[in-house]
Amino acid sequence: MPSVVVEDMSKRFRLYTERPPSLKHKLLSFRRGRPREHWALRDVSFEVPEGSMYALIGHNGSGKSTLLRCIAGIYQPTSGTVRTDGRISALLELGAGFHPDLTGRENAYLNASLMGLTRREIDGVFDSIVEFAGIGEFIDSPVKHYSSGMYVRLGFAVAVHVNPRILIIDEIIAVGDEEFQRKCMDHLYSLRKQGVTIIVVTHSTGIVRTMCDRALWLERGRPLMEGTAVDVANAYLESVNKAEVEAVDQAEAAAEEEGETFLRPDAEFRCTGVEFFDGDGNPVSMAHTGQPLRIRINYHARTALQRPRISWGVFHESGIYLNGEYHYWPEDHSGIVEGDGWVEKRFESFPLFPGNYDLSVVLDDEHVQHNFQHLDRAVRLPVRPGPTTEPFGFVQLDGPWVESPDTTAGSAGSAARVRS
Amino acid sequence: MSSPTKVWEYRTWIGNLARRELTAKHKRSVLGWLWSLINPAATLVIYTAVFGVFLRIVPPVAGNGTTQSFALFLFIGLVQWNFFNAIVNGSMQGLSAAGGMLSKVYFPPESPAIANMLSALVQVGIESAIVIIVLIVIGNVSWTFVFLIPIVALIGVFSLGIGLLVSVYNIMYRDVQYLVGILMQMLFYSTPIIYPVTLVPEDLRGIPARWIIENVNPLTAFVGAARDALYLLQPPSLSHWLVMLGWSAAALCLGWWAFGRKAADLIEEL
Repeated sequence: MPSVVVEDMSKRFRLYTERPPSLKHKLLSFRRGRPREHWALRDVSFEVPEGSMYALIGHNGSGKSTLLRCIAGIYQPTSGTVRTDGRISALLELGAGFHPDLTGRENAYLNASLMGLTRREIDGVFDSIVEFAGIGEFIDSPVKHYSSGMYVRLGFAVAVHVNPRILIIDEIIAVGDEEFQRKCMDHLYSLRKQGVTIIVVTHSTGIVRTMCDRALWLERGRPLMEGTAVDVANAYLESVNKAEVEAVDQAEAAAEEEGETFLRPDAEFRCTGVEFFDGDGNPVSMAHTGQPLRIRINYHARTALQRPRISWGVFHESGIYLNGEYHYWPEDHSGIVEGDGWVEKRFESFPLFPGNYDLSVVLDDEHVQHNFQHLDRAVRLPVRPGPTTEPFGFVQLDGPWVESPDTTAGSAGSAARVRS
Repeated sequence: MSSPTKVWEYRTWIGNLARRELTAKHKRSVLGWLWSLINPAATLVIYTAVFGVFLRIVPPVAGNGTTQSFALFLFIGLVQWNFFNAIVNGSMQGLSAAGGMLSKVYFPPESPAIANMLSALVQVGIESAIVIIVLIVIGNVSWTFVFLIPIVALIGVFSLGIGLLVSVYNIMYRDVQYLVGILMQMLFYSTPIIYPVTLVPEDLRGIPARWIIENVNPLTAFVGAARDALYLLQPPSLSHWLVMLGWSAAALCLGWWAFGRKAADLIEEL
């Protein structure tokens, strides 16, 4: 049975160009200066089954938060209906409902009563709220002295302890630290198992894929796709990637027009550009984790050179140096370069995790005595999630796990076993 | 429009809101809640000096047949007026203050006004207790005191209706609070609080002034009934009760309806 049903819902806002409208204005203008209308949501329909976790995704301004407010009963839909079944606990904004002058304790009581709990019910869950929030003795300090992390921890702790049937969370958990975020996720997971229906707005496709059952993708107030969380997240990601490819291509074209290339006409040996290709040799402007990638370094030698040294390095955009290496001319190659040519580094499965990386290219002579060119972090390589991964960090650490000998009877008896 | 059952569901929250208002009101003041006594006392002293002493307004004789105190006569009316005034102005302030919250969490938007009425009820309770103590000390006592409870309740309902009405329009047009300020002053002086109604001429250049004050101004009935019960020691007349009941019901219905009709749009504008 669905606990939230949204049917053909639309929400219109009136935007006043000049606000606040005064009574004088109203009396004198005879309703001229009509407000501009803005449809924040248009014909949205979906159902959230009881005890499931539902994600709303989309770009900023796509109407996600408005939709949450409509479900929470804060906004009334302009047309269509929203039906909910059971107590709703909504966490839409940092410390909403907190009074800055009151202590954490007083605010917790105030906030919990706001969600419809009686004083006795609050007494019953108060200790677990304090424990979950983990703010210790600060519970008796006015919340105006709290950090934003403490604010959100207390707010979340109250919201999940009021025994809601439906929990609505805007993307505010992101304010807390990693540990708290994980605690939140664990708690949401256990609430879901107890049959609580959870609706979240998030920009993390990782959360959508791993935790949610279904998802709705909103674009400019209109539902673009509704389906299983994995499908919607993948489609969303693909469109975001595609939009970025276009943006990068445009930026490159603009840079080329300005003549900002790798040309350094005076050098005997210079890099004329770095190109990326996918596994089939088609040019690409970004890499995808786990997918084939070729990084081609084009060069031009004005005179014949013997075995020049071509090397490259990879930096994370934060400045961390990750790795770099030299290119060696193979034995069966004369090693003599003249005119245009290229060397290519090929990856079967590109190992870096999503992020922005910068490549350096260094050109030296055979004995690394003379430096022809040093392009320090000159080439941006955006890496985006592939279709299967949503990891965090820099690289995949490959390698088998090995266990100590199995002590129970019937084991193979060997010292260590390597699992393939 | 929030249904009364919805409001009842949020009673704990409304109670907390009222308590918060009472505690926050006197935070960071040295005398704290004593101000809720000093304020009306100061008003009483000023009005008594100006109208009782300088202008020599003569109050009627009290129910015990001997007492004739302008201060008492004034204070009984003033307590009712203060209650009305606190609810109407407090509703506007309460809604503006809670405004930001309304767009972040759901609660019946009537809550701040109701909470404000409850905290004003505490104040009127304190003031009434003082009046009654003084009345007992000077020996003007009767069973008619019990009528004060329904009278105060009816004023509360009446004022809440007016408060809801003006507070919702105040969010839309800030002009309302200035307008209300002027209207309240006019209302105060056209209610027989600092003067007995007998002082008003029946005919003021063709205008039936006394008739208007007695029959058009709703507060005359409330103040009059409170004086009947506490000062003259007689049960308020049936017509007083009917007038009070009628005004209260009408004000609450009008306020609740207007508020509910506008509240949904208002949340988006806050």
